[in-house]
Amino acid sequence: MDERSEELAALNALDMLESDEKRVLHGACVTDKELRAFSVELEATAAELGRLVTPVTPPADIKRRIRAKIRARSDRFASVSPGVMVGALGWGLTVALAAAAFWLWNERGKLERELASASDVIAKVLPAADSNKGQVRTLEGTLKNMRDDFEQKKAALNVEIDTLRKRETGAQARITQLIAEAEEMKKQDAQSQLQITTLRSDVWEYRRAEMTVVWDARRAQGALLLEKMPEVEDKKDYQLWIVDPKQSDPVSAGVVAVDGKGSARTAFKPAATVGSAAKFMISVEKKGGAEKKEGPVVLTGP
Amino acid sequence: MPQSELTEEELLQRVARRDVRAFDQLYDALAPRLHGLLRQMLPEEREAEEVLQDGFVHLWESVGGFDPEHGRAFPWAVSLFRRKAIDRMRTLGRRTRLVDSAVLEQATLPAQTTSAGEGTMTDERRDMVSAALGELSRDQRQLVECAFLKGLNHHVIAESLGLPDATVRTNIRRGLLRLHELLKGGSSGRTL
Repeated sequence: MDERSEELAALNALDMLESDEKRVLHGACVTDKELRAFSVELEATAAELGRLVTPVTPPADIKRRIRAKIRARSDRFASVSPGVMVGALGWGLTVALAAAAFWLWNERGKLERELASASDVIAKVLPAADSNKGQVRTLEGTLKNMRDDFEQKKAALNVEIDTLRKRETGAQARITQLIAEAEEMKKQDAQSQLQITTLRSDVWEYRRAEMTVVWDARRAQGALLLEKMPEVEDKKDYQLWIVDPKQSDPVSAGVVAVDGKGSARTAFKPAATVGSAAKFMISVEKKGGAEKKEGPVVLTGP
Repeated sequence: MPQSELTEEELLQRVARRDVRAFDQLYDALAPRLHGLLRQMLPEEREAEEVLQDGFVHLWESVGGFDPEHGRAFPWAVSLFRRKAIDRMRTLGRRTRLVDSAVLEQATLPAQTTSAGEGTMTDERRDMVSAALGELSRDQRQLVECAFLKGLNHHVIAESLGLPDATVRTNIRRGLLRLHELLKGGSSGRTL
């Protein structure tokens, strides 16, 4: 017998169990004869403690009340002694006893037959019960394994959920940051009035050259991209000009240095205030640039 | 045999045959101890008296269930009356209510002095139970006595005394098993 069964039997002996545990014990007692006998013995042991209780005399009228209650419930409870009753009934009782003896003899035979057939049934059922016990044990084992698997998966999922939560928090922060940046860019975009212009040349040497100007009128600044420009003559420089229709002369936007491959990338600002940039030009000027356009225009646009 | 010399077991057997005088005698023999037990379990005197009354009516009706070959009369009656008291506690909602730890600690069974000279069988048995109870450890004894006299479930006893539930269960198991062994005449061979 295991400790768990002993414990349940002990607690039951002192009426300390509640219904669920009581059912477990009673279920176990159905199949375990030893546990059943042990449980009964422990109940008797616990009840023996009643011998040590200090007696308290009950009120005198309780016995009378008990007898009245019993009398009310049962006609068989009489206030006269059984001897007096037997004497009064005399022959009647003798005859009744004889009849009862005969009936009991018949009943005994019937009960013996019923007992024999019940024993047969039990003998057939017991092996099945043993096999059922085996199946129950197997099922319990399977359930335990399933529960262990489940617990492991649960723990792994909890770790994964934690990781995902952390990632989500990071992603949220990144999204917030990107939204802020996008808002900032929108503001900047709203403030800027960009104009993109591509320049071409009618001069044969510059026919392959490409020039793109991005001009932000609001900020009055721009960026220049030059490709495939021929090498400039000695003591000469390329110079960028902005044509403002409200001004008589083009406004200088600075000298443009072209590298060995004929490329240039540079930001520029006009030397004087420009109201609106209608046109951009590149001319060949003296080294270091000129205040006013003097040299030939090689690229122009739009 | 004169009825006055009958044992409690014989009286119960006569009650089973609806002997009213035997019932009266049995009442006189058992009622004070059973009433004492009920007074410990049910704090209100009126409740204890009602359960005592119901218990004896029940005893009259269910005495056919007593088998002298499988047990003694007094423990059989104690079990019957304790169950009645616990039913009453359950009805009153006291079975699961926390109890002041001081009340539980005072729930003790008095130590009996060994009967001098030639006592009755009842006296001898009482001395044996008392001696066996004295063999238990202090904790085991306290919890067994408390459980027996207060009729509470183990959760309530554990919470009321501020002890882990497992400690209460283990001490009750060990204590009662030891008591069982000693009352069966076993020595202190088994360590619990």
